[in-house]
Amino acid sequence: MTENRSLKIIGEKINGARKRVIQAIEKRDTVFIQELAVKQVEAGAAWLDINAGTRQSVEPDDLVWLVETIQPVVEIPLCLDSANPQALAAAIQVVERAPMINSISGDPHRLQSILPLVAEHNCQVIALAMNGKSIPELSEQRLEIVHTVMQAVRASGVPDEDVYIDPLAMTLATNAKSALITLETMRAIRQEFPDVHLTLGLSNLSFGLPARSYINRVFLVLAFAAGLDSVILDPLDREVRATLVAANLILGQDRHCLEYTRAFRAGLFNTSGATTGVS
Amino acid sequence: MSKKLVKAIADMQEESALKQVNQMMADKVEPAVIMDDAMEAMEIVGQRFEDGTYFLPELMLAGEMMNQITEQVKPEMAKTPVTEPKGKILIGTVAGDIHDIGKNIVSFMLEVNRFEVLDLGVDVPPDKFLEAIREFKPQVVALSGFLTLAFDAMKETIEAIQGAGLRDEVKIMIGGGQVNEEINKYAGADAYGKDAMAGVTLAKKWIVAK
Repeated sequence: MTENRSLKIIGEKINGARKRVIQAIEKRDTVFIQELAVKQVEAGAAWLDINAGTRQSVEPDDLVWLVETIQPVVEIPLCLDSANPQALAAAIQVVERAPMINSISGDPHRLQSILPLVAEHNCQVIALAMNGKSIPELSEQRLEIVHTVMQAVRASGVPDEDVYIDPLAMTLATNAKSALITLETMRAIRQEFPDVHLTLGLSNLSFGLPARSYINRVFLVLAFAAGLDSVILDPLDREVRATLVAANLILGQDRHCLEYTRAFRAGLFNTSGATTGVS
Repeated sequence: MSKKLVKAIADMQEESALKQVNQMMADKVEPAVIMDDAMEAMEIVGQRFEDGTYFLPELMLAGEMMNQITEQVKPEMAKTPVTEPKGKILIGTVAGDIHDIGKNIVSFMLEVNRFEVLDLGVDVPPDKFLEAIREFKPQVVALSGFLTLAFDAMKETIEAIQGAGLRDEVKIMIGGGQVNEEINKYAGADAYGKDAMAGVTLAKKWIVAK
């Protein structure tokens, strides 16, 4: 952990699975979407995940609209979140900064249809450690999929450092070892593919449990120590942000502790402030 | 009879519950009595889940205890068959959606509550549901989905069931993600369940009522 691997946030809030967002997309509510974008950038997001929902017929138009709506008000790259190659291809035509693509997996169809886009447009890409429909339980099986994916990635000419592997964090409530499996997978990937990045979505991990924020935060720190360098989450969640700032400091990513003391002066550690961004 | 067993299961005392079952079997207690106690405990666990005292892990552990107890008494049961399955339930995640955590939990809870469950998996097209309704003849069909896209697929699946003239044969429940009363109306289901226990409650209500 001597190299620079501070943890970067992929802001998750512009997602068509959320009711208010899909309504805003349908109504072409520019103000709502732009505000949501700007707030996440102000809170420190390094990418904005853009998901237009999954209505196939309108997804390409909706995704293009989102990109064109968000781009004028932010300066960070977007993370185009879709399994639909048509929607991705359409959105890539209008993006200004090379985007991240979310996502490919071990599914051959997805590799064939999406990797060429990634290669042609110098995108970064998130790769899930799963096959078409199933998430393997064991670390070794997930690693096997990562091998398949990396073989295809390298064959398509995409450099390792443009790949963000999501080892997948499953529900603790149904398998108390699931977080350990994720951490184990991460360490193994780090060792075999030192140049790839690691990323994670946290929505499944604490499902069905109370006080979810504690679980998410502690796991995030452990995952960070295991080599995680980006994470898909709600950057408006102050508790998570405060945790990340402290973790960056502890893991030697915050020279002179400035990020930490600045965050303190900005009031990030004020416990009285209500946590915003319930998702 | 043993309220000790009911209490042990309801209080998540796995070891003590299994020990209690062994003791009861040694004492020649009827398997049906043991299973009744276990079911009574499951009811209590379900209530505690509903009122927010228990969470998903407790629900899962209760289900596992239930399974272990069933395994233990099975050899005795075979001699005096008492518990027929309560009814048949067909379940699956609708076309275009591959989320299965919620569906699997519902499936599991239905099974431990003595329903015969046929799980078609994920991304299940309407004609697969139709085929299974014809062959498996369930009383209840449970459609799961997490994506907004799933709401359309639920609607299409239910329309297909209607179109095939099978709508009156089955009660249909939907669940997953942001499913609510509005979606329930939109999809044309009979009811929606907000969690696994709600699914079990619906199934009991419908199948017992039949």
